[in-house]
This record gives sequence, structure tokens and C-alpha cells, in this order.
Amino acid sequence: MRRLVTLLACAATPVVAQAPLPFDIGGSFSLVDQRGDTRTEDSFGGPSLLFFGYAQCQSICTVALPRMAEAVDLLAERGVEVQPVLVTVDPVRDTPASLRDHAPDIHPRLVALTGSEDALAGARKAFRVESEVIGEDIEGPLYAHGSFVYLLDAEGEVLTLLPPVLGADRMAEIAMGYLEAKP
Amino acid sequence: MRQMMVGVVALSALMAFPAMAAEGKRVSVKGELIDTWCYFSGVMGRPDAVVGSAHHTCAMWCAAGGIPIGLLGEDGEVYMVLKLPGDDASNGGETFLTMTNDTVEAEGMVYERDGLTYLVVSEVTSNDGIPNRTHEDFGVVPGNVIPDAVVDKVLEEG
Repeated sequence: MRRLVTLLACAATPVVAQAPLPFDIGGSFSLVDQRGDTRTEDSFGGPSLLFFGYAQCQSICTVALPRMAEAVDLLAERGVEVQPVLVTVDPVRDTPASLRDHAPDIHPRLVALTGSEDALAGARKAFRVESEVIGEDIEGPLYAHGSFVYLLDAEGEVLTLLPPVLGADRMAEIAMGYLEAKP
Repeated sequence: MRQMMVGVVALSALMAFPAMAAEGKRVSVKGELIDTWCYFSGVMGRPDAVVGSAHHTCAMWCAAGGIPIGLLGEDGEVYMVLKLPGDDASNGGETFLTMTNDTVEAEGMVYERDGLTYLVVSEVTSNDGIPNRTHEDFGVVPGNVIPDAVVDKVLEEG
């Protein structure tokens, strides 16, 4: 228990040290949202929180997406508008029409992106996100996929990554630190 | 838009916090590769019940589902593992799945970001498997993660 208390205390500290990571994360993509419009990494009109997952996911998405959505709301309460974005790893089921139904359940302002297999693979490669089918249930394939939430600035450049184990308040706090530091 | 190195982006943040900058440093850490979701959330029980053999099945499910793994060092520090040798992804991958709950000694680089400690493993220099036999104290955690029929069969077979 002492370990956990120590770690949580550490996690509650303000944004302090920023070390560079030894690999590239982020890049350009061109995908299609739930309304059928083409969206790129810099077309959200401001910063965004971006997550790779799928609408039918009963695993990590059920944890990470609500946290990301709550973080967006917490930031909005502090006067910072951040666009929540889902990039699907399941384009067969996550068509624009299907995402149009599912997106509001996650967040009323969610932009849910899909596209061709190649376009989505390119986005995953840019963000170093792995995705693979690990089984099937009666509703279709089950995917394992990377689960970090990425904070992007208005130009689509990655500012940092957020583990899904963080609470929404901590996600919002970290994001706020970066966004307040932007000119 | 051009691809951007996080390092370059971090430099901007670093400039915003000039007195608080930190670079990566090379380390050798020994500890257990844990399921960070169950360890931090507490949803499956106390921290010492969601490590080791008691939690291995659940941890494999979590790793398969994309939950990041951590290295719980002997010093009590949890290092969020960003990368293991053999996996191209920044989190996840088959190596994560196959090494869950193993006690390993790893060499790599540690990076402090956002109040978290990230570890990029360059080499796993030793792997003791799962010596942390927590099932002897806690059984299987959570109890329903292994179907009863499987448990019965294993018990029958001794």
C-alpha cells in the first residue's frame, strides 16, 4: 500500500519534468469523420485529445474513452476547448454511418474517424500504435490495440501522451500545463 | 503536416519550464512487469493482490486488451514501459503479453514526463519467470477470471 500511496502522491504533483522521448510520435493523416467529411490532424480548429480504438470495444476503450471525454469537459470548464477524437482500428464495422450513431454516446462533440485500411494503418504507424485481431465474439472481431491518449496542438503536433490509467482530472491537469504554455 | 519528434515538441515544453527540465538517463532496473490498470485503479483489490501469480490471468487479458504494462521496481517505483525489445509499437505488442508478471532485470532509458516515469527497455538481461507466488495468499484475483471448469480440471489433475 505504501508504494501505491507514494506513486499516487507523485502522480498528483504538478507538471514538472519534461524529457524528450527517443522516438517519433505523430504525423499526418487524412481520414473521414462520421459526417463523411475529410479530416486531417490539423483540421480540428484547436488542440485535440486523440485515441485509437473502436466503437464495439468492451475492453480498454470503455475505460479510456470516458476518461478522455471527462477530461475534455474538465478543460472546457476551465475555458480550454479541446476536441475529442477517436480513430477507429475497426473500419469494417466503424463506417461513418455507424460512427454517427455511436459517437454521441462517447462525447457530444466527439469526432470519430474512419477510412481505408491503408489510411488507418498509416495513422497507426505514425503514432506507433499496434492493433491486431486477437479473437472473435458473436458481434465480430476483438482487437488488441495501443491505449495511450495523445494530446495534439492545433497544428496536429503531438505535445505528449497520456496513459489511460490516469484519471480524467490528471489528464486535464497535464493537458492544461501544455496548452497554457503554448503561445 | 510534417512529422514531429516528441523530443522537439518536448523542447517547447521544456522551455516553458526551464528550471524543471530533465533528460533521459540510462538505468538497470529489477522488478515485476505488472498490469498498470488493476494496480492503480484498485478495482480488483489491494496492490499486493494484483501482482504475481494471483493476477497473472487477468494481467494477460489486460495486456491483450491494450493496457500498458509497468515495471514495479524493487524500489517501489512503477516505470511505465513504453517499449520492449522486439515490439515496434510504443505500447502493446506480443512481447508485453508473454512477459506479464515476469520478474526481470531490464536495462534501458528512463524519461520523466508529466510526473510519470517512462521506461524504454533496450535489453532484458534476466528473466526469473513468475516467482511472486501471490496465489498462495490470495487465490486467483479476480476469482472469476478463470472459468470454474478450468479450475476444477487443473485441481483434478493435481
